[in-house]
Amino acid sequence: MSQTPAGKEREVRLVGGAAIDGAPVTYVVVLAAVVAVLSFVPFSVIVAAGGSFPMSQGVYSLVGWILGPVAGAIAGGIGRLIGVLLAPHTAGPVPAASVWGAIIASLAAGAMVLGQKRRWWWIPLSVLFIVEFLLFVGRAIFVNGVGVGVALANSFVNWSSIVLYMLPTRTLFARWINGKNVGLVTLGLFLGTWMIAGISHLSVTFILYWVFNWPEEVWITLIPIIPTENLFRCLIGAVIGTGVIVGLRAIGLIKPAEAIY
Amino acid sequence: MPEPLVVIDKVSYRYPRSPDLVLHDVSLEIRKGEFLGLIGPTGAGKTTLCLTLNGIVPQFYSGRFFGQATVAGLDTLDHPISALAQHVGAVFQDPETQLLSTSVENEIAFALENLRVPREEMLARIPEVLAAVRLDGMEQKHPHELSGGQKQRLAIAAALAMQPDLLVLDEPTSQLDPVGEQQVFAVIRELNQELGMTILMASHAAEQMAEYADRIALLSHGDLITTGTPDEIYAQIDLLHTHHLRPPQVASTFYFARKAGAPVTSVPVRLEEGERALDTLREACPIAPPERLPEPPAHGGAPPLSVRNLRYVYPDGTEALHGVSLDIHTGEYVLIIGQNGAGKTTLVKHFVKLLEPTEGIVTVDGVDTRTLTLSGLARRIGYVAQNPDNQIFGKTVGEEVSFALANLDYPPEQVEARTVESLEAMGLQNVRDAHPLSLPKGDRARVVVAAILAMRPEIIIFDEPTTGQDYRGAKYILDVSRQLHQMGKTVVVITHHLYLMPEYAERVLVMGKGTILLDAPIREAYHEADLLRSTFLSPPQAVLLAQHLGRGDGRAYALLTPEEVAGCLAGGAEGKGRAS
Repeated sequence: MSQTPAGKEREVRLVGGAAIDGAPVTYVVVLAAVVAVLSFVPFSVIVAAGGSFPMSQGVYSLVGWILGPVAGAIAGGIGRLIGVLLAPHTAGPVPAASVWGAIIASLAAGAMVLGQKRRWWWIPLSVLFIVEFLLFVGRAIFVNGVGVGVALANSFVNWSSIVLYMLPTRTLFARWINGKNVGLVTLGLFLGTWMIAGISHLSVTFILYWVFNWPEEVWITLIPIIPTENLFRCLIGAVIGTGVIVGLRAIGLIKPAEAIY
Repeated sequence: MPEPLVVIDKVSYRYPRSPDLVLHDVSLEIRKGEFLGLIGPTGAGKTTLCLTLNGIVPQFYSGRFFGQATVAGLDTLDHPISALAQHVGAVFQDPETQLLSTSVENEIAFALENLRVPREEMLARIPEVLAAVRLDGMEQKHPHELSGGQKQRLAIAAALAMQPDLLVLDEPTSQLDPVGEQQVFAVIRELNQELGMTILMASHAAEQMAEYADRIALLSHGDLITTGTPDEIYAQIDLLHTHHLRPPQVASTFYFARKAGAPVTSVPVRLEEGERALDTLREACPIAPPERLPEPPAHGGAPPLSVRNLRYVYPDGTEALHGVSLDIHTGEYVLIIGQNGAGKTTLVKHFVKLLEPTEGIVTVDGVDTRTLTLSGLARRIGYVAQNPDNQIFGKTVGEEVSFALANLDYPPEQVEARTVESLEAMGLQNVRDAHPLSLPKGDRARVVVAAILAMRPEIIIFDEPTTGQDYRGAKYILDVSRQLHQMGKTVVVITHHLYLMPEYAERVLVMGKGTILLDAPIREAYHEADLLRSTFLSPPQAVLLAQHLGRGDGRAYALLTPEEVAGCLAGGAEGKGRAS
């Protein structure tokens, strides 16, 4: 500071509770509203179980990166819940699973921390994802007789995401999103969205599969479709995310305590 | 003397990402029942000071805070914002951003519900505050059905319902049309003078602040420069100019007159005082209208923009234009004025085909706009919308300026050349890689103009470019319009701020209820005071002073600016006496 203040410096803190886990409630409300609004836009059909899923899937991870794991999960979950109620055409065959997918995506994204705080949250989350994967693919192979090759090819998005989440790539993407280079921010958002959307897809799909048990023919059909859909989620996340993060940085709005951008 | 309600003691503050202090050692008291006006250029720290009083600064924004601020005895750092909100009601610039409920009644109840005020108490307070802001009978209306002035009064009512000790208003009229501005000032004056409400109001409306405020505090670059009565502050024209502030025109008039040698002892700051001072001055020395006044240049030839019998009906059945006809000639600078709903924006949106006529015809270079494409029209006519931020979406200034060219498939080298040319014309070459939203509002408007300029249009339309700008920001944008005019462009400007326009505009279209009430040179149009009042506009104080001179001796004083009136006063004065 070029000028020296005459007054005594005071400790600055938020008195009262207008924040959730360091994220102002207004941010949580706004991002929940964004998720709810994007829930109106049908993004692709669900081949295996019918219905469609929404464009909001591309921004669940962004919500976590902006708000952190707790506030992000709340915003993503509330936004998707409102979306399910107001836009049932994108709710899918099991609406509750869709809300769960939003919560887990924002939570996992928010847990991509760069500092010391919550640096181990990725471990229990990874264990959860591995269990989900085993329940999903294991049931397909051992109960419903889907070929191993087909099952692995079909679940490429899911297992590649778990691997990326468990490796240091998780932190690398977070560092890119946190960096000043806009190109790397976009790349981090793109790859980060691949990873988080793949995990979210697994968390929803393993529930749907236990309900619908779709046959091997459907697994084969979905092999090229699922990665294509995930690429579109990545595009949505990267395009919207870059604009939002660059804009937030430019206008200097208060940064939530757990944000990684 | 009443005890102080607000005590600000050596307060300094720095936002988290800002390298400099936004407030620096500010010490100020606001007494109970006082109306304190807060003035200062953009970036002075006015909004920050307002937000300090309800704890939003620093509790919400974080940053570094020095000193102490107390409101009704509560330290703003030690008490939650919700507790401070019960003592400090806040109303901000844009009413649209403050309203979130689906009825007027619910809007007022919202904050009370959050403070767990009992239902019976809420039902008692709502009619009281609606009556105080003259919105009674509108309980069930949707806030979006209200006019701008009504919306801002609703925001004031919502703040009043908390029964605050202090009402903080941060430029509450800068987004409003003249009618809305009058309504809001009338309500604030009533609250202060009849109910004894303590008011802190930041505003650029110098004439109104001189009229209503008890005391003025001048803030600049975070420093409290001075405080004093409106007479003390607004009479210091040099001080105001130093800080890029606009004095009331009556004060400027007598200041310039004194500088030019007229026998003026003190500078009046209110119109009535100015008129009395003119009468005194006239007794002391003869005053005569100038023999010659500058004439607007003649513009001939085929008009590039022509409107014939234009009628437009909105889908909801509202007839916004009734048979409007006009020609705009090459190189003209045209000012369009009129109250909200007069049809100004509807008219200019037809020029760029954002609307198509229900009846009648609009031609550009002799071609019916219905046969032209939007992109084709954009090459000929640029449109700067009211809020430049709504036209900005690029991540950098350079990207914003080159966007349209790139999308119209211009060769890359031509895109680059025109982008550089436009950035240089608007003085933006040094911020080419900056995010447009990181720039001050005046510069953001320049970015939009640069993007339009890159298309090399012959006609450029500015739709209320001065709304929400301080004096310097407004002049900045209007100087850009003059620069374009001097480059040979045809310029059309819509604004409510008549006092800004005499040094720019040549011709004035006065609109009312969807028709053109008057189409005349500015010197003639500004003196049609009754006609202007019929569309809720008031001539600038300099024009009113000139008319007062005319009423005194029966001669016509077709003067427009404080400098012109002052020249007239000084011209007749030979040091025969002194007027106050």
